[in-house]
Amino acid sequence: MRTLAKDRPRVAAGAGAALALLLIVPLAAFGPTAAGGAADACVAADTDPPAYYKIDLVPTRRIPGTKRATGVGYVTFARSPFAVAVSPEGSYVYDLTLSVAQLRPPRQGVYVAWVSTPDLDQVRRLGVLDAAMQVKGRVDWNKFLVIITLEPSADDLGATWTGPVVLRGLSRSGLMHTMAGHGPYQQEPCATYGFN
Amino acid sequence: MLRTAALFFGIFLAPALALAQGHEGHGMHHGAADGAAWRMPPMDPTMPMMPGLEDELPPVAPFLAGMGMDPSMFPEARPSEVVEMADGDTLDLAATLVRRTLRGRAFVMYGYNGQYPGPLLKVSQGATVFVRFRNEIELPTTVHWHGVRLDNRFDGVPFVTQAPVERGEAFTYEVHFRDAGVYWYHPHMREDIQQDLGLYGNLLVEPPQAEYYGPVHREQVLILDDLLLDERGLIPYGGEAPTHALMGRFGNLMLVNGTTDYRLTVRRGEVVRFFLTNVANARTFNVVFGGAPVKVVASDVGKFEREQWVGSVPIAPAERYVVEVRFDTPGQVALTNSIQAINHFRGEFYPHVDTLGLVTVADEPAAQDLREAFERLRDHADVARDLEAFRPHFDRPPDRELELTLRVEGLPVSIVRAMEIDTLYVPPMEWNDAMPMMNWLSTGTQVTWILREPATGRENMDIRWDFTEGEVIKLRLFNNPRTFHPMNHPIHVHGQRFLVLEMDGVENPNLVWKDTAIVPVGSTMDVLIDLSNPGDWMLHCHIAEHLHAGMMLGFSVRAQDSAQ
Repeated sequence: MRTLAKDRPRVAAGAGAALALLLIVPLAAFGPTAAGGAADACVAADTDPPAYYKIDLVPTRRIPGTKRATGVGYVTFARSPFAVAVSPEGSYVYDLTLSVAQLRPPRQGVYVAWVSTPDLDQVRRLGVLDAAMQVKGRVDWNKFLVIITLEPSADDLGATWTGPVVLRGLSRSGLMHTMAGHGPYQQEPCATYGFN
Repeated sequence: MLRTAALFFGIFLAPALALAQGHEGHGMHHGAADGAAWRMPPMDPTMPMMPGLEDELPPVAPFLAGMGMDPSMFPEARPSEVVEMADGDTLDLAATLVRRTLRGRAFVMYGYNGQYPGPLLKVSQGATVFVRFRNEIELPTTVHWHGVRLDNRFDGVPFVTQAPVERGEAFTYEVHFRDAGVYWYHPHMREDIQQDLGLYGNLLVEPPQAEYYGPVHREQVLILDDLLLDERGLIPYGGEAPTHALMGRFGNLMLVNGTTDYRLTVRRGEVVRFFLTNVANARTFNVVFGGAPVKVVASDVGKFEREQWVGSVPIAPAERYVVEVRFDTPGQVALTNSIQAINHFRGEFYPHVDTLGLVTVADEPAAQDLREAFERLRDHADVARDLEAFRPHFDRPPDRELELTLRVEGLPVSIVRAMEIDTLYVPPMEWNDAMPMMNWLSTGTQVTWILREPATGRENMDIRWDFTEGEVIKLRLFNNPRTFHPMNHPIHVHGQRFLVLEMDGVENPNLVWKDTAIVPVGSTMDVLIDLSNPGDWMLHCHIAEHLHAGMMLGFSVRAQDSAQ
């Protein structure tokens, strides 16, 4: 009875069965949230996160062993008495689950996931990728970047990353862009609206 | 009759309306000069008019209550009055035209018993009351008792449970209150017009147990609403079919209990229990109590398993929440709707805050200190006991599935092009009307919102589900994001109660009985419906324009005795 599942998360081509396996691991296995508390324990259920809001993680290929890496992020609303979870400022409150495949474990250091506002003025640490190359945390921004970096150690992580970026991605809302200067608004100059 | 009335309005009165102001930069060509009564709703002046839409009008006749009659012909509506009703009591309730004055301007609107909102009926759980309803507005109507598990004959659904109540006609409702909590009543015909114009009221069903809720100093019943108007008055409604069919009609004037200036004065340390109901056509509110501590206690059809602290209360159309708030700090606390709105033209989220009301906290302390009781989050054993019988059903596969989608036909080419090009991202929830001109121009004649059953391919009222009283079914709702215009949908089930078990694979750890739940775009929600009430019922989206653009189905629950 899962006939509505056609829009469910799909494993990126090439990621193979390993990533598919990752996707069905109970969410309880994931780490603490970025918001400073552990994410609620969660039992694997019959439905999946919305594929529509999937985040593709793209490698920078700057680090040996990362060239073929692929990754995905899925958002679900944080548990809330209202079904949707919204902050007092009106932002969505998401639990973000990242899964990376075909990424060789580092010879030194750890892979750490971060989230940031698009203009990088705020950065939060989501957590260290576990042995299965997964991490889960919480985000309460509507538009955000996901960054996975290689850090020297899990013990002295700061407020932002210091190591090289391994993979990066953008929330689906990052596709929202100004209409000025193109499409039906081609005659509207972008600069008028603060875009160059 | 509606068509005739709209025609009358269009032919004889429309020329009296001048071109809407506030669109000087939008290049609109229509208005008084073309003899149409339509004028475009206000939109952000920094947002340019979409090329090709300057001459477009909704392909339906405009409609306003009273057909342009002078508001002074009608009595000024009075604030809602409390009516305490005992078991067996009868209330006379009339839908009438009234004059409403908002921000110094007079409008012809509707009211129950000349009040805004309609009378607040207070009854005891288990009571049955009679309501002799009389229709004195120009449209046929009915009264639906939202969330109440009453006798099917009195559910107020035209052509299903009763004939429409035409102007001058009457219908007597027998309303039995099986569950405690806060409910509401409203028309079930052209809700986009009638409800928006003021036909709504609350029902407060008091439980027999004194400690059903925690101790508070006072209770406040708040109805949240919005109205769409410009400097000339209300933006007309669609006569034959609703305008704003894509997103629903978002208002630009926020109302609490029908007013723009809700005020409450409390003493320092007071704990107030607020019964919140969202009666807006389309808007989901995110209610914030200025940083005061808030705990959510109950929702549509009863209490949560456990009380919870919350930072805000997102409440979709037709939902209710019961929250308790402690006001500790002297001064003013703003009650706000706090959202991240979208400007699609600029491709940005931006914070937007509407002040819904003000609570003044006096220096003088409350007579009784309820801090200790307030700070305790109660587990509701009575709710847990009630849920026990349903737990065996939680893990079963869905019995029915519905896909939420839509079909469009005949929309202006500019709209179709724009939406196909610039809808790379659709938010899970729409908190504001981010595309006012496109939304306004889309009507129920062009847009069909669809509940589609994948198993049969049937849609909306072609779906027929037959159940037996006492059955418990799991329904899976999938809000398909890959459609022309996906949107969140508050799904309402008549006459029954349901639990939201999980959404997108995340189980709900704190259950509460609901009759309406919001399904965000892209989400899959599993609900467990307790089919406890025989009759012919509806399931539909409670965005009024979506409902009247087709998004509804019927189902039957056969009485157990007749099933044997």
